Amino acid sequence: MTEPVARRTSPRVLLVHTVTFRQARSLVPVALALVAGRGLSGGTTTVVALVLGITALSMLWASVAWWRTSYADGDTAVVLTRGLLSRSVRTVPNDRIRGVEVEAPPVHRLFGLVRVRIDAAAGTVVGKDEELLIDGVRRAEGDRLRAHLLSRRAVVATEAAGRHSAPEPVEEQLPPFRNRWLLYSPLVGSYLVLPLAGVGALFRLLDDLPDRYAPHLGPDIGPPDLSDRWLVAAVLAGGLLLLALGAILGSAIVNWRFRLVLRGGSLIAERGLLTRRHTDLEVDRIRGCAVSEGLGMRLVGAARATALVTGLGDAARRGQLLPLGPRGRAWLLTDLLVPSPGSLQHHPPAARRRRLGRALTPGGVLLVVGAVLTVRSGWWPALVIGAVVTALGVPLGLARYAALGHATGPRSFAVRSGWLVREHTVLQRRAVVGWQVRQTVVQRRAGLATVQACVGAGRGGYAAVDMAAAEAADFARAASGPWAGALAG
Amino acid sequence: MSDQPPVREPVWSLSRSAIGLWVTQGVAGTVAYGLLLAAFVLLVPVDAGPVVQPLRWAGGAFVAVYAVLAIAVRPRLRYRVHRWEVTGEVVYTLTGWLTRTWTLVPISRVQTVDVTRGVLQQVFGLATVAVLTASSQGTVRIPHLDLGVARHVADHISRRAEQTRDEAT
Repeated sequence: MTEPVARRTSPRVLLVHTVTFRQARSLVPVALALVAGRGLSGGTTTVVALVLGITALSMLWASVAWWRTSYADGDTAVVLTRGLLSRSVRTVPNDRIRGVEVEAPPVHRLFGLVRVRIDAAAGTVVGKDEELLIDGVRRAEGDRLRAHLLSRRAVVATEAAGRHSAPEPVEEQLPPFRNRWLLYSPLVGSYLVLPLAGVGALFRLLDDLPDRYAPHLGPDIGPPDLSDRWLVAAVLAGGLLLLALGAILGSAIVNWRFRLVLRGGSLIAERGLLTRRHTDLEVDRIRGCAVSEGLGMRLVGAARATALVTGLGDAARRGQLLPLGPRGRAWLLTDLLVPSPGSLQHHPPAARRRRLGRALTPGGVLLVVGAVLTVRSGWWPALVIGAVVTALGVPLGLARYAALGHATGPRSFAVRSGWLVREHTVLQRRAVVGWQVRQTVVQRRAGLATVQACVGAGRGGYAAVDMAAAEAADFARAASGPWAGALAG
Repeated sequence: MSDQPPVREPVWSLSRSAIGLWVTQGVAGTVAYGLLLAAFVLLVPVDAGPVVQPLRWAGGAFVAVYAVLAIAVRPRLRYRVHRWEVTGEVVYTLTGWLTRTWTLVPISRVQTVDVTRGVLQQVFGLATVAVLTASSQGTVRIPHLDLGVARHVADHISRRAEQTRDEAT
């Protein structure tokens, strides 16, 4: 065992932090207040002086921070020391490291630097506190650090298991991601929101701009002529096209050249157009996989696959196996990691009645209100809307019922539900840390029950909605272990 | 057939003192609502508007109904529907009246066991045992056990958890 060497981050990080005003960012509001208070009476000179001053201050700040920060990756733990006046020393034992992420934001990449994020989640604690960030080391040093930390972790694990020779890390390329699958993004809700958020931010910026700089429309351009149907249709089509392009662009920035590699017990994902991210998952911590298909994605047979990993912060993003792609590929990856429990069992007809009842209720209420209004005051539109909503409730209820299902296999089990986003979750038997059986009054009369497996990964619980009440105990035992036999008594 | 519960009921009831605690809570709630009503009657004159008189009646009726439900009905009902059980392998509870929830947690997956005592619980010599697992959904809470029973249960669970812990979370 050698004494760990305290290392500094690369001095080039000074430039990165100066350019991005990382430390001085907190001064910007002060500067703005100063400007607002005194006005920009001095004109250009004041602005230049202010910019120079902030830059100099930022550089000074970054230098001090760099000078006082050091890290050491020893055989047993990583230690990060920092802080000017109040020194903070954070130590993470190597066997507690859950994952190492190497990311390269654009400015860092310009200077050949990376950021290393070390995850050490502890039990149920959620938050950024369980994270250790080494900002601004050279790419080669980042890779060395990652390899070192992960190999130490593997050695610790094998020593704990009583073996002495660490297995050779073999790299196995999993089926590749194709960038053309990004074209599916306009059909995914979360990617569609991206351009909308961008437009919102732009509008807020325009609002904040002083009137002097805001573009003015000439007085001869009045409000648009809404009577021209073609114009309206063209504007709508153009807007939709822009939205679709924005969604593709947004998902390309995050998911460009997504790559998944299996190396020595770790699953490594690489992604990103501007910021290249390198995420590391321990295969041993994977408890299951979820394949989700949104409404739009189902139309074209697309899906996304996510690994459910214990003790992983920000698991929804980091656990991704396939951000977007054909359904077959999502299942291929899922089956590689979690054995398939076989095809799903449908839920009893009573479940279909319940789904239909729930889907028809809003329409029914509207129908009654509409009928009352029609009889009393002759106002019929509510009645028509009610009829339409009720009619739409039938396919909705049937579709929601069709999504329900569960299956148990020798080493895993699966549940599926959801209509807007249909989620098919396959979990290992060992993933279950508890069972929760729920029964409402309506379910009791229909002989149904909702059985939820409590899992220390992902959302925390995955439910088989409206399964036959009589099968609940058997399902729980088949999906977890003999201990669940306590349910049957 | 359809009224058969989907899974077995846990065998044990909570401490009988829990009824006393719930009755006390009901009385406290009734007094609070009564004071609110009294303040309304005293501070808002009848001629302030046409709705004041009906509101007084409605308020009075509400307090009366609440008193009956919270003092006479709810404590006994709760006592009947809350059930629990701890074996060498599992912790098992049942709660809820309209919507019933059974929770089963294997002791080998238990991460922490908490025993907490509120002010009222101390008066009645009761304690709550909370059993936490790695899942945010898989938390079992057994409210209002006799203090001695609660301590014994917590001790038993943590000892068994030590013996049977497995690596998976």
